[in-house]
Amino acid sequence: MKPVIEIAHLTKRYGKNRGVTDLSFTVAQGEIFGFLGPNGAGKSTTIRAMLGFIGFDSGEIRLLGKDIRREREEILAQVGYMPSETMFYPNMKAGEIIRMAAQVRRKDCREEAGILCERLQVDTEKRICELSLGNRKKVSIVCAMQHRPELFIFDEPTSGLDPLMQTAFFQLIREYVEQGATCILSTHVLSEVRRYCDRAAILKEGQLQRVDTVSALTRAGAKRIKWVRDGRQEEFIYEGDLNDLHKELAGHDITDLLIEEPSLEEAFMEYYRS
Amino acid sequence: MKSIYQYEMKQYIRTLLLWSVCVGGMGMACILLFSGMQEEMAGMAESFAAMGAFSEAFGMDRLSIATLKGFYATEVGTIHELGGAMFAAVLSMNMLSKEEDGHTSEFLFSLPIARGKVVWAKWCAIVANLLLFHLICVGIYGAGFLLLGEGLSAREMLLYHGMQLLLGLELAGICYAFSAFFRQNKLGVGLGVVLLFYACDLLCRVSPEMEKFSVLSPFAYANASEILSTGQIAAGGAALGIGILLAALGIAYFRYTRKDLG
Repeated sequence: MKPVIEIAHLTKRYGKNRGVTDLSFTVAQGEIFGFLGPNGAGKSTTIRAMLGFIGFDSGEIRLLGKDIRREREEILAQVGYMPSETMFYPNMKAGEIIRMAAQVRRKDCREEAGILCERLQVDTEKRICELSLGNRKKVSIVCAMQHRPELFIFDEPTSGLDPLMQTAFFQLIREYVEQGATCILSTHVLSEVRRYCDRAAILKEGQLQRVDTVSALTRAGAKRIKWVRDGRQEEFIYEGDLNDLHKELAGHDITDLLIEEPSLEEAFMEYYRS
Repeated sequence: MKSIYQYEMKQYIRTLLLWSVCVGGMGMACILLFSGMQEEMAGMAESFAAMGAFSEAFGMDRLSIATLKGFYATEVGTIHELGGAMFAAVLSMNMLSKEEDGHTSEFLFSLPIARGKVVWAKWCAIVANLLLFHLICVGIYGAGFLLLGEGLSAREMLLYHGMQLLLGLELAGICYAFSAFFRQNKLGVGLGVVLLFYACDLLCRVSPEMEKFSVLSPFAYANASEILSTGQIAAGGAALGIGILLAALGIAYFRYTRKDLG
């Protein structure tokens, strides 16, 4: 599959403050890619640089084979973006916002917008200032999807959405991806990554910790150990050599022992802490 | 670009109507008061004209307040000048910064539109609003003249209000450039700029030592008394105003197309 997102040695600093440092990864066509990291890790900085909202000090960002610095408008014509803080012009109606987004793209998106509004239960007659965060998010989803883009970029897409809408949102993502689109989503909700993403990148303090398939990320290094040793039950995450663990057990009365893969949450917590 | 322009026009329609009806209404009230005050004004005109620097500052040494032209220049002119300048600042000061202030920049700039086009679309909306503001005000003043039964010549109105439009555009351009630098709405800065230039113009008119600095303020070339008493415009001042306007637009464009959006 051809790469849709190519980020090479991206570095962005905010004066003396760190943004992201030497970040490199690629996302192939048809992938749903998770972008994980604690607050301030540099996820939003990366996304903002990808969309040309901010410049960067060094490196290269290519989306859909085009350079974001030189071909920003051509790229954005094929991108659907949903920001974490979804804000629109408060006095406009939801329907007006959706039409405005389509007009700027010079596309007739009425049919797709109608389907999306129905599936997401968007009230197009309500003014933005009357909408809750969740309802504004739904308008944002319609704006991001109505032109059937090749690449979706979502920044914490499900915050504020009720569980039914979260399911509907991911169902839509899957449908578009099945038709050849690609999706990158930044999130704190690890269950979303586990359930929907093919691969994920973990970012910490502006640096990429690891990029791998979700299943490989959970397998890496750490093991969940449960045992009953000398009559005492213990449970912990073990990251060392299993031979050392075996030696540690020698001479003890082991009545129960369970070694298993940690949950995704535990694995990511290890990355966050380390 | 058309969508952004249309959106901005729609956004400011109430502000435009409110300001133009208020300023135009106050001007019209002054015009209608003239006939009732004409006799009193005749008595006051001489004393007003003999107030030295203050008479010069308000143009009362050149125009008699007892005539409609003099009354229009001093009374309506002051209201229109300040009202129009403040409207220009209100329009333009937040025009660019409001996207970041209201967190709508991420929606707007995720659309496939160049930032430069957004800068021009928003500027076009400012120009259209200012043009409409002056047209509405002139229309209301014209209605006042009709009710009064006398008026100023079309040439005088065109010269004066043409310069007022340029004044508005120059102040709007300066505020627009400021707006490109800010991430938050700072209307106070815009109004401060207007009042600073107005005070600078007054000082330059009152104090002979300061007269050489009068070109610094755009209010100098748009002064009603000067234009209506001479029937001429200060071409040098107007040309400088156009130069400052173009420079301000260039700065707004340069800054906004390169800044990191917050």
